Amino acid sequence: MSVSWPGLPDRGEDDTKRLRRGFAVQGRVVHALLLRELQTRFGRGGLGFLWLFLEPLLLGSAIGLLKYVLDRGHTGNVPVFLFAITGYAPYFAFRAVIGRASGAFASNMTLMYHRQVHLIDIMAARTLLEIGAVMAILVIVVGGAAWWADIKPNSVPTLVGGVLLLFLYAHGIAMLVAAGSAVSELAERMVHPVLYISLPFSGALFTMHSLPPSLRAFMLWNPQVHFHEMVRDGMFGDMIPAYYDLQYMTGFAVGMNLLGMMAMRAIRPKLEF
Amino acid sequence: MLFLDRVTKHYKMRGGGLKTVVRDVSAVIRPGDAVGIIGRNGAGKSTLMRMIAGVEHPTSGRIERRMSISWPLGHGVGLQNSMSGADNARFIARIYNRPVQAVLDYVEDFAELGTYLSMPAKTYSSGMMGRLLLGISLAIEFDCYLIDEVTATGDARFVERARLALLERTRDSAVIMVSHQPETLRSYCRTAAILNDGTLTFYEDMDEAFAAYQTL
Repeated sequence: MSVSWPGLPDRGEDDTKRLRRGFAVQGRVVHALLLRELQTRFGRGGLGFLWLFLEPLLLGSAIGLLKYVLDRGHTGNVPVFLFAITGYAPYFAFRAVIGRASGAFASNMTLMYHRQVHLIDIMAARTLLEIGAVMAILVIVVGGAAWWADIKPNSVPTLVGGVLLLFLYAHGIAMLVAAGSAVSELAERMVHPVLYISLPFSGALFTMHSLPPSLRAFMLWNPQVHFHEMVRDGMFGDMIPAYYDLQYMTGFAVGMNLLGMMAMRAIRPKLEF
Repeated sequence: MLFLDRVTKHYKMRGGGLKTVVRDVSAVIRPGDAVGIIGRNGAGKSTLMRMIAGVEHPTSGRIERRMSISWPLGHGVGLQNSMSGADNARFIARIYNRPVQAVLDYVEDFAELGTYLSMPAKTYSSGMMGRLLLGISLAIEFDCYLIDEVTATGDARFVERARLALLERTRDSAVIMVSHQPETLRSYCRTAAILNDGTLTFYEDMDEAFAAYQTL
């Protein structure tokens, strides 16, 4: 933005320089927020930060065990435990990213008294932390399966790409949720019920291949299904036929982020401290 | 330099209606200025401070900051209760790009919180919170300090030390201060402004400002 105000001193730097400095500030802020988030959520010292991935790992394992006991026939020759955890761990993080977004402004108001801390940085730090947790779980579980049972992932890039795209999509939705819940109480109250109801439609815990084609076509309208299918493709490959459209996924992930950033920008002047 | 160009701020009131906090305020604050802002409770002094700090955005008009300006230093503002005093200092050092250890050393020496420094800030008394805030903000060094009713509390020795530290810092830096206590404003500020009914009126002379305030 050019300044045309008599008597206003020059900033002494051009737009590219300002942009670069802006990114440097943002990098520092996100880094500081990451460290803070680790400290406040898991306490200092001890093995507190282990809970970051132990918690979803335990939950995933419990579900994996239940599935193993209850319906061992369903997934064919795929190990049930591995199947459950590759579905549940990303889903758990997806829900955490969006669920925590609903109070993002209210619970971080005091941080935003520092003008360089933007709502978008707070959101980025949280999402990065969840990505770290899920990646740690996958390394443990997938690595364990490879070492113990000699089951190697079919394609690591597909597996990691699927998880990262899922997070990008979740991050976009989270920004919309944070913006919505900052200005409307109704939006804040709706987040958790909607997340709860959406579990059966997420495709996290069963394959599209196991569905009749008409139902499968219906389910595939939901972008979230594609991400979980891609993650499973990366893990199991030809063992389970996977259904996903990379273009559809990327479109939604990028689109949600653009909408989310626009929403953040739109609500910022309306925030009252 | 700090420029306010026709700054207006409305709030939506609960149940409809608008409350105008400031209306068409223009001002220039230069390095080295020391302005005390006087006004009744609810006149909008803190809102004005938050807008100058870039925390809240004006409804219309523009604020240009061409010097480093602190966050609005008020009771516990900008600090996090769940984090320890030391972690708060580390966090603020990181986001303001200052060496973490140097800031930590300064705060440790200045605030005299002893072992409390590693305790969560929610366990602090309001006096300790004030010491921490003052310690961290003085460690960072800003061109302009925004001070919203923070004064040093504690034993007489600490109060005196804090007063001297703040005076020394505000000798080279600008300061914009909100306080209800005339003595506090007199010791840190050279000029004053009255915020009343959305209008900010500047006075070159502190006594004149107080006299005008009395007649409101």
